[in-house]
Amino acid sequence: MQGITKFLERIGRGAGRVVGTLYQAGRESIDQVVKNILPFMAFIAFIIGIILATGVGDALARLLQPLASSPVGLIIMSLIIGLPVLSPLLGPGAVIAQIIGTLLGTQFASQALPAYIALPALFAINPQVGCDFIPVGLALGEAEPETVEVGVPAVLFSRLITGPIAVIIAWVFSVGL
Amino acid sequence: MDFLVQAAVWFIGLFQKGAEVFVGLVTGIIPLVIVLLTAFNALIALIGQERIDKIGEAAGKEGFRYMPLRYLILPVVAVFVLTNPMAYTMGRFLPEKYKPAFYDAAVSFVHPPLGIFPHVNPGELFVWAGIAQGVTTGYGAAETAALAVRYLIVGLIVIFIRGIVTERITAFLWARRAA
Repeated sequence: MQGITKFLERIGRGAGRVVGTLYQAGRESIDQVVKNILPFMAFIAFIIGIILATGVGDALARLLQPLASSPVGLIIMSLIIGLPVLSPLLGPGAVIAQIIGTLLGTQFASQALPAYIALPALFAINPQVGCDFIPVGLALGEAEPETVEVGVPAVLFSRLITGPIAVIIAWVFSVGL
Repeated sequence: MDFLVQAAVWFIGLFQKGAEVFVGLVTGIIPLVIVLLTAFNALIALIGQERIDKIGEAAGKEGFRYMPLRYLILPVVAVFVLTNPMAYTMGRFLPEKYKPAFYDAAVSFVHPPLGIFPHVNPGELFVWAGIAQGVTTGYGAAETAALAVRYLIVGLIVIFIRGIVTERITAFLWARRAA
């Protein structure tokens, strides 16, 4: 009798732990949606709505179109966004990458840009990723102040080289899309 | 009078377009993201931090053959389990000279998995979703799925290259500074 009670207790405990973990995971994901995703969607919807309704979007798209529609153009885009002076300014919250991405998205939606451009474009709009965050990111890794002094320019210069390389690799991998 | 009515219609039209976009985003993206986020949040809670720390300790070793561990496996696991921005804390296991390169590799991996694993960086989902939403509308969901997989694969190659290049540049700058 005691054996059975113990067995039941163990099952109950285990199930409780799993259900608790899953419930907590659900709570976290709803939190993330409400705190991070929905506000950004509201912001994007407002900006994109205005841009589409006023026709500014067409003008901007026409500006980006020549850059976005050829490999050389995308490499130039990645070089501009990855410039060591610009990249830390364009980084915060990935806002610029998200807006350019959404603008280009409207061009894919209307088939003005072919689908195989999407992969290199994803890398061309993003060579600045994390460039605004280098000192904080290094501090999170418990880096010495000297490492931060060397590390900030090292990462910024590296992006000038690896940004265009990323676009080229993405271009190769976009075959067949 | 007619002019006023037209102006009002135009004005509200600006926001109606935005509302259309918003509904598309909410119904198209959020339900899937919620379910995925829940699954991965639970998985991460069950794996636990201690197991990840062990990889970090191994990745700090000297030598060429530890590069894939340092700039591929460690950043991928860190971003996947700890997500942005806590992933960068894994740099604490590495010698100072490797920290900038590790940060570069890790931070470059917070977007490429978004098409399949949105939990790594839900706050910056639109780096991926902006283009993906357009591709889905223009070319269909299958095309977007293929794009998501390739984004992840190319991301892996790019962070590895970035780790190596940044490690070299760091060494160069460090040597010049000492001289």
